[in-house]
Amino acid sequence: MNCVDWEERIALHAGGDLAPAEAQAVERHVAECAGCQLLLSGLRESLSLARDAHAEPVEAAHFAAVRARVLAELERGPARRWRWAWVYAIAAAAAVVLMLVAWPRPEQRLALPMPRAPIAPVVARVAAIPAAPKHRKTREPKPAETVTVRLETDNPDVVIYWIAESKGESK
Amino acid sequence: MAQALLAMAKAVDGPDARARTGDLAAFETVMRQYERLVLVTALRLLGNLEDAKDASQEVFLRLYRNLGKVEAESNYQAWLYRVTVNVCHDMGRKRKPSVAMEDVPDPVSAGDDPQQCLTGAERRRVLQMSLRTLSAKERAALVLRDLEGLSTEEVARALGSSEATVRSQISKARVKMREYVERYFRRRV
Repeated sequence: MNCVDWEERIALHAGGDLAPAEAQAVERHVAECAGCQLLLSGLRESLSLARDAHAEPVEAAHFAAVRARVLAELERGPARRWRWAWVYAIAAAAAVVLMLVAWPRPEQRLALPMPRAPIAPVVARVAAIPAAPKHRKTREPKPAETVTVRLETDNPDVVIYWIAESKGESK
Repeated sequence: MAQALLAMAKAVDGPDARARTGDLAAFETVMRQYERLVLVTALRLLGNLEDAKDASQEVFLRLYRNLGKVEAESNYQAWLYRVTVNVCHDMGRKRKPSVAMEDVPDPVSAGDDPQQCLTGAERRRVLQMSLRTLSAKERAALVLRDLEGLSTEEVARALGSSEATVRSQISKARVKMREYVERYFRRRV
């Protein structure tokens, strides 16, 4: 077996991550391979260095600074939320007033002709328009048809529906 | 030690129970228990103390907001490691990429026996620089397994990976770290 194939297992063995049987196989190979002995000792040394460096204490002032920042943020939190609550309440009230003023009364709605093109560019989609067959052998009475036109404006909250209903024919 | 802390945190009238009701003094006690875990892990993952402090602050704020959920998980440490890794990952994406293996800086001091002559500061510098040669996932796997001492299974849970993936990441990370350390000392002597 090529030593490159041993590399992963040797690296795992250096940190004690192999099952006993695998660890023994690695030890047998390392015992007779100078290159892999160097690899294993290098891995152990670098791990030891890393662990020593990691174990060195961090100045207590850094922990205290984090604690102080977190507690200050938590103490500030409720006041900040209340300030925003007022903003949300005013915005909601304004929206309700706007809807009451702008919403057309029933008689106005009936008088509406075709929808006018809105100021913002619109994307119009005609939904579910039944296609009539080109040739009919026998003339069947037409049922009532509903055509719905959905007009989407740039404002996602404003969608205009135009619903037209044709009178059906009776038999 | 960890088990003792966990038991303490789980006590009925323990600091976490009071912290959940908004007692900031109790939450400060909880922070003191886990601050080393969070700050030092973040420091190893980000390589910069100021960034690590920012990450720690975010982790503890998330802990405060999720105290009930964390208690239900019954493992503060696992939750904190997972959130610390996620917060650092998000912060790390906005920062500079890892250094190339060739970018070994000049050593701070020189001597006949390089490893013996290392000062604490230089040892930490070598560790941080070697960690920066790793990919984010390799770094997280190595930090949790080799520096924080979690089992492969715990690391896999914290990183949301399989154990096989974690083993592969750990072995690659160890080989890269060893290469960096050897290059560093070869230049030093």
